Amino acid sequence: MRSKIARFFMYVFLTIVSFVSVFPLLWMIIASTNKSVDVTKGTLLPGTYFMENLRAVLNSNLGYVNSFKNSFIIAVVTTILAMLVSSAAGYAFGVYKSKFKNITFTIILLSMMVPFAALMVPLFRLFSKFNSIPVLNLVALNTSGSVVIIAIATAFLIFFFRQNTATFPKDLIEASRLDGLSEYGIFFRIYMPSMKSTYAAAIVVTFMSSWNNYLWPLIALQSEEKRTLPLIISAMGSSYTPDYGMMMTAIVISTIPTALIFFLMQKQFVAGMTGSVKG
Amino acid sequence: MRKKLLSLVLATTMMFSLVACGTEKEPQNNGTTNDSEKENTNNSKDSDTITIWAWDESFNIPAANAAAEVYKKEHADVTVNVVTMAQDDIVAKLNTALSSGTYNGLPDIVLIEDYRIQGYLTAYPDEFADLSSIVSASDFAAYKTGVNQVDGKIYGVPFDSGVAALFYRKDIIEEAGYQEKDMQDLTWEKYIEIGKAVKEKCNVDWLTLDPSDLGQIRMMMQSAGAWYTDADGNVNIKDNEALAAAIKVYKDLMDAGFVKQVSDWNQFVGSFNNGDVASVFTGCWIAPSVKNAEDQSGKWAVASFPRMSNVSNSVNASSIGGAGWYVLKNVGHEKTAVDFLGKTFGSNADLMHQLGDEISLIPTLNAASDYSKKDDYFGGQDVAADLIGWTAKVPTVNYGQNTYAIEDIMTEALQEILNGADIKKTLASYHETIKAAIAQ
Repeated sequence: MRSKIARFFMYVFLTIVSFVSVFPLLWMIIASTNKSVDVTKGTLLPGTYFMENLRAVLNSNLGYVNSFKNSFIIAVVTTILAMLVSSAAGYAFGVYKSKFKNITFTIILLSMMVPFAALMVPLFRLFSKFNSIPVLNLVALNTSGSVVIIAIATAFLIFFFRQNTATFPKDLIEASRLDGLSEYGIFFRIYMPSMKSTYAAAIVVTFMSSWNNYLWPLIALQSEEKRTLPLIISAMGSSYTPDYGMMMTAIVISTIPTALIFFLMQKQFVAGMTGSVKG
Repeated sequence: MRKKLLSLVLATTMMFSLVACGTEKEPQNNGTTNDSEKENTNNSKDSDTITIWAWDESFNIPAANAAAEVYKKEHADVTVNVVTMAQDDIVAKLNTALSSGTYNGLPDIVLIEDYRIQGYLTAYPDEFADLSSIVSASDFAAYKTGVNQVDGKIYGVPFDSGVAALFYRKDIIEEAGYQEKDMQDLTWEKYIEIGKAVKEKCNVDWLTLDPSDLGQIRMMMQSAGAWYTDADGNVNIKDNEALAAAIKVYKDLMDAGFVKQVSDWNQFVGSFNNGDVASVFTGCWIAPSVKNAEDQSGKWAVASFPRMSNVSNSVNASSIGGAGWYVLKNVGHEKTAVDFLGKTFGSNADLMHQLGDEISLIPTLNAASDYSKKDDYFGGQDVAADLIGWTAKVPTVNYGQNTYAIEDIMTEALQEILNGADIKKTLASYHETIKAAIAQ
C-alpha cells in the first residue's frame, strides 16, 4: 500500500517535471500557428496561422532556405570528419603506448578550459590570412570550411572516444593482428563497427553542436549567402517589432533535423552515453 | 554487412567532401576580387556594388531598400546589397573585423545605434569616412548630430528619431475622470496621480517596468540634458542631479502600486497588446507594436514625454534609441557609399516622406519636418507631426563611449536603491566603481 502511494507521488512529480521541460517546446509549436500579436498576448491555443507564417519565412529576403542548406551541409560534413578524426585520436590514446601520451592528452584536455571568446580574435586574424594561401583558402574566412575545420577535432570528442575505447576488448586487437590485419584495418573494420553506439552518441552530440553553433559562424561567415540558420534566426529577432509567429515557425522547422537525428539514434545514443558496448 | 556499412560511410564522406570543395571554391574567387578591389578602388567595375548592414526587417531594412531604389534611378550601374543582421551581431562582427584589420566581407555602409557610435569613432578613428562634405549639423535635429561628431567632423548621416513619447489609453483615463488635455506636457507627479486614479477606478495597471532595463531612467535623464557621462565624456554619477531625480521618479513609480513588472521585450509588448496596462512611455518606434493590437484601434493617444518638475532644465522631450548611417572607408567603395548617403538619407525629403508613409519613420532631416500623417489608430491625431515637433526639442547630450557598460553596473545600483538604499550615497559609491570599471 505504502509503495503504491509512493509510486503515485513519484508519477505526479515526474509528470510535473516532464511537463515543465516539454512546455517551452510545446509553446514554440503553438506559437508557430499564431499571429505575432497573439504570441505576445500569450495565447496557449493552437491557431490557424501556420501557413501564413510559413509563407512569411520562405518569402522573407533573409534567405531561410539557403541558410538551412548551408547549416545542413556544414553539420553533415563536420559530423563525418569529426567522427573520423576524433575517433582515430581517441582510439590511439586508448590503445597505443607512447612516452608522451599522457602529457599530450592532458594538454588536449586543458584546451577545454580556454573559453572560445578568448580565442576568437586570434583565430579570426589567423583565418583571415588564409585567403591568399593555396589549399588553406578552402578554410579561410567566409567559407563554410572555416566553420567545419574548427569543429572536427574537439577535446570533448577525443576524450569521449578514449574513455569508450577502454571498454573495447584488447583481445580483439591482438587476434586481428595475429590474423594479419593492418593497424588501419583494425581501426576501420574491427573498432568502428563494434563501437556503433559510441559513434551514435558522438554523432548526435556533434551534429547538434554544429547545428546550433553561433559565435564562430557569426564572425567567420561574412557574406549573406553563406550564413547559417542561427544567424538568420538571430536577425529575425532583432526588430523593433519582431514577427514572433514567423520566428517560431522558422525555429520549429530548424529543430526538425536535430530531432530526427536524435530519434533515429535514440537507442544507440543512450547506450553510448552509458558506455555499454554491443559487439 | 560491416564491409558494406564501411564502404557506405567512406563513399558518403568522399561525396560530401567533394560537395564541400565545390561550395568552397566560390569564396576563393571572392577573396581575390576583394583584394583587387582594394588596390584599384576607383576604376574597377566592382566598386559599383555597395553593401549595407542594418537590423530591422520591418523598419530600417525597407528604408535602405527604398533608398537604393531612389539612388538607382540616377545611377543604374550601382548595385546596392542590403543585408539584415541582428544589431548585437553587427556589433560583434565589426569589433572582431576592425580590431584585426580585416575588411573581407565588411559592409560599406552600416547602421549604428546612437549610444554606441562614440565608442566606435574613438576606438577606430581611421575606419569611418568623414561625411562633412554631405552632411551639415544644421540640416538635422540638433540632438542627432551632437552624437556623431568628433573634433567638429561629422561621421554619420542621422536616420530615425528615437523621440520619446507617452502612449496612453484614452478610453481608460476618461473612465478614471481625466481628459486628453490633462495628458499634455505632464510632470511625473501628475503622471503618477493619474496612474493612481486609473488603478483605483478601472483596476488596470498604469505601466510596465523592467528593473533590468534602465531605458526609462535614460530617457528622464536626457530630458534634462544630462547623461551618465558629462559633456567631455567623463563619468558623471555622483553629483548628477538629473540622474538622482530620475531614479527617484523610477522608485516612486515602482512604489505607487500600479506597475506591472516585466522581464523581457515579449512580455512588455504583450502587456499593452493585452490591455493589461494603460500607458507606455518609450521611443516612438514602439508605435507599430502598439498598433498590432487591432482590437484597440481608436482607443490610444500620444502625448509628449513627462518632465521632471524638480530639475530646472527638464523639458517635455527626450529620446531613446535611434541610429545613423556610417561609411566604413577602408572596405573599398567609399566614394560610391558617400555619394549614396548624400543623395538619399542625407538630403532627400521626398524619400523621408515616402518612408513616413511606408514604415512610419519619424525623420530627423529638417527638410522633411513638414511631414504629417493623421492616424486613425490614434483617433485621428496627427502623430507624425507631434513626434517631429518633440524631436526638435530633445536636449543634446554626449552619450560617451560606455553607455551600455555603465548601465550594466547601474542596474545593480538601481536594485539597491529600490530595496531602500539612499540614492545619493549609493550613487556616490557607484561613481568610483564605474570609473574603475571603464578606465582604459
